[in-house]
Amino acid sequence: MSDKRLTFKKRLHILKHHYRDKKMAPAFNAFHTFLFAPDETTHSGSHVRAADDLKRTMNTVIMALVPVLLFSMFNAGYQHFSAINGFPENFSLWNDFLTWENFWVGITTVLPLVIVSYGVGLIVEFIFAVIKGHEVEEGYLVTGMLVPLIVPIDTPLWMLAVAVVFGVVIGKEVFGGTGMNILNPALTIRAFLFFAYPTWMSGDKVWVHEAVDLAGGPDAISGETILGFLAQGHEYSYSISDMFFGFIPGSVGETSTFLILLGGLFLIFSKIASWRIMLSAVIGSLVMGLAFNGVVDQGWITETSKFYGLMSFDYWKHLLVGGLAFGIVYMATDPVTGAQTNRGKWIYGFFIGFMSVMIRVFNPAYPEGVFLAILLMNVFAPTIDHYVIRGNIKRRMKRLKNATILPKDSEGAAKELKAETI
Amino acid sequence: MLEHVELFFRSIFIDNMVFAVFLGMCSYLAVSKKVATAVGLGAAVIFVLAVTVPLNWLLDKYLLQDGALAWLGPEYADYNLSFLSFILFIATIATMVQLVEIVVEKFSPSLYNSLGIFLPLIAVNCAILGGSLFMQSRQIETLGLAFNYGVSSGIGWFLAILAIAAIREKIRYSNVPPPLRGLGITFIITGLMGIGFQSFGGMLTGGDDAAPPVEENTAVKTEEKKEIKKEIEEKEVSYNDVINK
Repeated sequence: MSDKRLTFKKRLHILKHHYRDKKMAPAFNAFHTFLFAPDETTHSGSHVRAADDLKRTMNTVIMALVPVLLFSMFNAGYQHFSAINGFPENFSLWNDFLTWENFWVGITTVLPLVIVSYGVGLIVEFIFAVIKGHEVEEGYLVTGMLVPLIVPIDTPLWMLAVAVVFGVVIGKEVFGGTGMNILNPALTIRAFLFFAYPTWMSGDKVWVHEAVDLAGGPDAISGETILGFLAQGHEYSYSISDMFFGFIPGSVGETSTFLILLGGLFLIFSKIASWRIMLSAVIGSLVMGLAFNGVVDQGWITETSKFYGLMSFDYWKHLLVGGLAFGIVYMATDPVTGAQTNRGKWIYGFFIGFMSVMIRVFNPAYPEGVFLAILLMNVFAPTIDHYVIRGNIKRRMKRLKNATILPKDSEGAAKELKAETI
Repeated sequence: MLEHVELFFRSIFIDNMVFAVFLGMCSYLAVSKKVATAVGLGAAVIFVLAVTVPLNWLLDKYLLQDGALAWLGPEYADYNLSFLSFILFIATIATMVQLVEIVVEKFSPSLYNSLGIFLPLIAVNCAILGGSLFMQSRQIETLGLAFNYGVSSGIGWFLAILAIAAIREKIRYSNVPPPLRGLGITFIITGLMGIGFQSFGGMLTGGDDAAPPVEENTAVKTEEKKEIKKEIEEKEVSYNDVINK
């Protein structure tokens, strides 16, 4: 190993053989394969059919998430200063949004969330890998990036750490690790936070940096999400382009529909995520939104109803606000917990969109129903798959029964089968 | 009509027998290894609930409730036999289960064999008795609604056992740690599924009963605490004054 002609990669390779069958091998391999593509493909878990290894897949998703993360850092600062000074009158992207002050707020608030999420999650993963003696699994690379993006910005770091431990251990490791879980771990973490610490996860104080600390004082600021406004029957003051480009309050990374759309296209063209799920989820939410708009147009519900605000919300705007776009692109398409069959994906996606909008409207306690809708469909995804597969088997059996089998001989002429050959 | 629709969805999703009130867990956990068996048991539960809840509704209405015996004559109007609810309800249920058992054995011996002991045990499935008791305590008004309630809460239970059976078939290939295999992991799955079903919690009621407090914020809370502390301190001071004097 002291040979100086050896490249860094070679040295690591020698070290890998040195560590083989040792207790620390999984931990070492995890770093090794993070830096260099290994010479082996993934042979267990969800990714058994692909030619590359799972870590490349995960890294592709992270690449799709990076623009969202950067945007969220700027938006953190933008929302913070806008809540204090008021929104700028003539908004210019360079002077008001992409400034160092905004970015600095983002670094001090969003980056710690990312670090805690990755740190705690990977520690749990490494402990389990060393105890169980298998390779460290790559699944957490994406989960660790998703988690900071779907929580409110001022989530205390210890809460995040507790939730990450819960999500990784109960949501994933007890099932045997990556590729075996039934619920999306990132959403399990979000649901844990939501039900365990509701005051930090909803309301009008949690979406803007420092709003909780300043509350009650003379400098109190607040930023309610659009869905929050609607659930209480208030008006909101954001334009459609604000909603589309994401200059609105909300969970850290969910606001910019534009960047999420780009990320989604990137995932579709790199064949990582299923376009069927995304498309059918969009259709599902539009259908439900249209149905609610229809109810309002028919006059079956009056303005005094507590559901009126969200029911009269234009159907296509549901896709622009809240976490619907983020959930559809990055979490509904999870290859492990979603439906696996093609027809199953259509059904699964449709119900995600459908249920998300329904929960938004009918359940004012959870103005953000997307994560619960995806969790619910995660629960039913195996059932959908089961019946799709049963249906396929039945159809093929029928086809087999009706088929006449005429194997061709060497000259290409069809030859009738004799009874004993069947 | 609207109340029928509301009750239907409410008892399937919002008041789901398994995930909202955790009833009928024994057969839910024990017979959910295969989808086919689970479907059979689920169908049996739907049938038994659909028959027993209306029957028990009639019993409750014309025999058990306070003053239910008034149709016999004015001298019986004071009787309140509701202390007999349990024993009469369970007797109805046991009879119906016996009937189902005979029918299933006759028409589907394979299902009968795979359900095994759990078919007669439907009689003590708490979801069934629970259905009748909820029917009583929620004061369901008409026979039609009672039938609706029986069918829809049966469907809710059916969906739950169907979903967990499919999940258990899926995770058969998972590398679950040995101490958790079998029932352990099933309990964990049930809990996680419960989180998924939480999406319906507080729906329609506007989150009045099961909602997390949305309006509150922690800063206000701490201020309140401080004020209370101050008050307590002031009182202590005054008490001390009194004692010293």
